[in-house]
Amino acid sequence: MTQPLEVEDLGYRLPGTGRQGTGNGTVLVQDVSFTVGAGETVVLLGRSGSGKTTTLKLINRLLEPTSGEVRVAGARAADLPVTRLRRRIGYVIQEVGLFPHLTVERNVGLVPQLDGWPPERIAARVRDLLRLVGLDPDRFARRYPHELSGGQRQRVGVARALAADPPLLLLDEPFGALDPITRVELQHEFAALEGRLGKGMVFVTHDVREGLLLGTRIGLMLQGRLVFLGTPQEFRESEHPECKKFMEAA
Amino acid sequence: MEGGAGALAAALLLTGCAHRDRIVVGSKNFTESDLLGEIVAQQIERRTGLPVARRFHLGGTFVCHQAITAGQIDLYVEYTGTAYTAVLKHAAVADRDSVYRAVARDYAQRFGLVWGEPFGFNNTFAITVRQRDATRYGLRRVSDLARVAPRWKAGFGYEFLERADGFRGLASVYGLRFASPPTAMDLGLTYRALAEGKVDVIAGNSTDGQIEALDLVALEDDRHYFPPYEAAPVTRQATLARHEGLAAALDQLARRISDAEMRRLNALADVEHQDIATVARDWLRSNLP
Amino acid sequence: MSLWHFYSRNSQEVLGLVGQHLYLVAISTGTAIVIGVPLGVLLTRRPAWRGPVLGVANVFQTVPSLALFGFLIPLPLIGGIGATTAIVALVLYALLPIIRNTYTGITGVDSAVREAGRGMGMTDWQLLTQVELPLGLGVILAGVRVATVVSVGTATIAAAIGAGGLGVYIFRGVAVVDDTLILAGALPAALMALAADGLLGVAERRFAWRAE
Repeated sequence: MTQPLEVEDLGYRLPGTGRQGTGNGTVLVQDVSFTVGAGETVVLLGRSGSGKTTTLKLINRLLEPTSGEVRVAGARAADLPVTRLRRRIGYVIQEVGLFPHLTVERNVGLVPQLDGWPPERIAARVRDLLRLVGLDPDRFARRYPHELSGGQRQRVGVARALAADPPLLLLDEPFGALDPITRVELQHEFAALEGRLGKGMVFVTHDVREGLLLGTRIGLMLQGRLVFLGTPQEFRESEHPECKKFMEAA
Repeated sequence: MEGGAGALAAALLLTGCAHRDRIVVGSKNFTESDLLGEIVAQQIERRTGLPVARRFHLGGTFVCHQAITAGQIDLYVEYTGTAYTAVLKHAAVADRDSVYRAVARDYAQRFGLVWGEPFGFNNTFAITVRQRDATRYGLRRVSDLARVAPRWKAGFGYEFLERADGFRGLASVYGLRFASPPTAMDLGLTYRALAEGKVDVIAGNSTDGQIEALDLVALEDDRHYFPPYEAAPVTRQATLARHEGLAAALDQLARRISDAEMRRLNALADVEHQDIATVARDWLRSNLP
Repeated sequence: MSLWHFYSRNSQEVLGLVGQHLYLVAISTGTAIVIGVPLGVLLTRRPAWRGPVLGVANVFQTVPSLALFGFLIPLPLIGGIGATTAIVALVLYALLPIIRNTYTGITGVDSAVREAGRGMGMTDWQLLTQVELPLGLGVILAGVRVATVVSVGTATIAAAIGAGGLGVYIFRGVAVVDDTLILAGALPAALMALAADGLLGVAERRFAWRAE
């Protein structure tokens, strides 16, 4: 059974300012390696600029890796056409990015529609997913994004990411823009969901409490490197200075 | 405040005086009119020393007529036939002298305008076609046009289309029925339109320089539809009265320009693109040194 | 003669000129859309081209319309007297608002929306046709509206070069100092411009999207 995600020596260097080749740009990510199994959530934790969001974007090739390899469900990401790769990965971002001119149901069903699913299958799937994220389909399917609250929008965002049943989910600080109460609410619901879905997930956050709650493993990033990878318990007990800094802030 | 108002009044008075001493010469919106206007303007400057302001290339006959009757210009060159049929709205007659006498009399009585002596040429409307069409269809006279008109397109300037002595009368007198209504465009463009084949017949001017240059030919007005069009300066009575030498200066130009001579001058300006002021100056130097 | 009297006596000619005018405006605006919208889209994909393309379109806008007609007349194929030249000039005038508004409309789409779309695996074409163009349509229509209203006015000058339209009445009226004639041309042209502005304004508001 192939792993949802295998990352090996992943690196990203900015294009250099010099004329000769690409030798001398800033390195944002280097030597990052980890795997994510089905049902696992790896949390990428780190302060701003540590390279966690960059790493995420290297996985679905919104940025192209300059070194290393990414394999999604056994296939090399670099070998797949980029749109086909991305259809196999659910992507949730902080600002959500719902299409304002489409109803909730059209938003959620977008990737299945791009993949050519029959309409009845899409409709059924949408209803299931809305229920899964805690939204009553009868009340919400026909609404437009601007009619929803921030929390409701992000629920739709998660539903949308799950629509085509991808093996891997990437989430970039998905609850960061929400008020504290809604954030906690969604965190707990998400934690309950994780186990049921059986997918591999990479979850970027700078909030250590969120990370400890949601991760099966924590990957701590500092200056573009993965300096710690282990269970939440191991993280709490770690002697690494950066881990301790985060624990103090918790 | 008082000092300022006084200075302003003095300035207005002065400019008013200067205005009264100045002759404003106008012209219509085609080359020949500009040329004659420039010749008249330079003649006035040389002979009387009066300052001349030029308001050339105004909208056309009716704009000039309105401008001179309103006193906005003092003088412009008009054509007897145009004054006779378009302004005074008489039916056309063929006799040169009776047309001249009629317009001179009516203009003086009705508008307080004085007709000077004609320059000596007749610039009538030239119904013009391409040389090769004239040869192919045997076109020499305007009557011959009736044969080809149903298959042809006509193109005219706006004034010719609107004037009573223009297209409508021509079409009715000669029985011309064109396939579609004539294309209207700026007068200056009609020669080009004819030469390029966009239209097949136009109403140019018989003294235009472009007729020969573009391989075109003017048809004979065999039914004498058009009256004679002799060009002469038309001046406000009040202006002539105020400036003694003015009438004499204008009279020196009488009968000095033949048909051929006018054509030559037009060609210099239109075909060889010489500057109008230069053409006028050269002509005056040669003819009235 | 009163204006109504004039219209009733010359109804066929009036309708003919109105038709010619509409033809000039419709063909030129349509062509400008066909050229301008793809160009505007291209500028969003190749930002380096933005300066030169908008610069050239801007130059055409600043040339006075009669001068532009005059420049085009001597050219082979697209020049000469008549409707072709007028249409070419009108297209050139309409390009700037359409290109610029297409560019603005598309770049005005929320970048989060674009990122989400790309991240989900939409191709560039799918993103353009299903997200960027629908969301930018209101702004694009605003550009079309401006271009159309300007065209209606500029097309009156086309009569000077034999292209027909309502300008024929205006030029004829000016030639013989006849106010009724001038008005006979100017009034329908003004009404046409107002109608275009109104109708396209409705369409524009219908398709405008509030930011999320």
